Amino acid sequence: MNRYQFEDLISEYIENELTISKRKLFESYLEDNPDAKDLVESVRINQEKMKSLPKVSSSSDFNTRLLAKIQKGAATLPQPEESQRTYFGFLPLHASLMTGLVIAFVFVSIQLFSPDETNSSSQNQLYANDQVPSLSNPGLDDVVQKIPDLVDVKEDSSLENNQKKGQKDFSKQMHFVND
Amino acid sequence: MRQNSSNLSDMSLDKQKTPFVYTDEQLIARFQAGDERAYIELVNRYRDRLINFVFQFLGDREQAEDVVQDTMLKLYIKKHYYREIAKFSTWIYTIARNLANTELRKRKRRKTTLLSHMTRDEREYELPAIQPETGQEVQTEFAEKQIQAAIQDLPEHFKTVIILRDIQELSYDDISSIVGVPLGTVKSRINRARLQLQAELKNLR
Repeated sequence: MNRYQFEDLISEYIENELTISKRKLFESYLEDNPDAKDLVESVRINQEKMKSLPKVSSSSDFNTRLLAKIQKGAATLPQPEESQRTYFGFLPLHASLMTGLVIAFVFVSIQLFSPDETNSSSQNQLYANDQVPSLSNPGLDDVVQKIPDLVDVKEDSSLENNQKKGQKDFSKQMHFVND
Repeated sequence: MRQNSSNLSDMSLDKQKTPFVYTDEQLIARFQAGDERAYIELVNRYRDRLINFVFQFLGDREQAEDVVQDTMLKLYIKKHYYREIAKFSTWIYTIARNLANTELRKRKRRKTTLLSHMTRDEREYELPAIQPETGQEVQTEFAEKQIQAAIQDLPEHFKTVIILRDIQELSYDDISSIVGVPLGTVKSRINRARLQLQAELKNLR
């Protein structure tokens, strides 16, 4: 046991809270170090002196003055019991905010984690992407389709070529079968 | 409520010679339900204990009494804040400790030159060494003042725990609840506070 360990255990030793093994170590340290023994003894004496310090008592008019303060305070305070009423430990404002948050959380959770809702919403999204002629201006859709940008043109032409190749092969195959 | 308050002094359970059959927690429950006699009972039970605690904390009797008055007033106004998950004693001590801390901070701002705030040299000047022929009573009084001054000189976090443990004789668990730190920290602080006090008072025999 070193000096730091010894000092850490002084209070536990005085209050008899050390385990037997630690107490033996502590006492052997005390035997080897007379100054340590003096330190423990003086801490113990100070503790006793603190316990025997004279007690201060309240003045005889303590309650009278307190009641006067309460009366004064009651006149100025607007019904403390009403304003401090709580619901499950929350003040009314906090309770309503908390309720709103819980409802919002439940709603968002249902939206996010319900599998049926997810499928139907994705299907709805797919249908929404389909081109539906607008009822307000039906001619506008035709105009938009007739002016494709360059990228669309390239993609479209390559697709057409592939389709043509496929058609050619298919016709040859058909011809072979006929022969 | 005003009418109830004006009659409080006549409603003390002490005056009615009622035996102490209620626990603190039962009394605060009754007070929360509107029985103001229970409040007076709680005041009578705790006023001296709290004044002792705050007096050792501040070193001034009048200020200590004012702080305890404010504590009791707070108990009256904020009675609904108490929940039975905590002991009533730790709750009321926590209020008193917070108010005493506030008072201490105010005092530091005012920079008053109370005895407790003088430097060690100044204090030694004010309290001269004891002569061999000095009477026992005077010696005891001198020693008490030295101890109180040494307590005052401790940092706040040491001072609170040492007063609660060695003067108020509260349990470590209660102190932990009042101060709001883990049990191990409380034990460590108490040990270090005792060592610091011993260093301050080593010439006192």
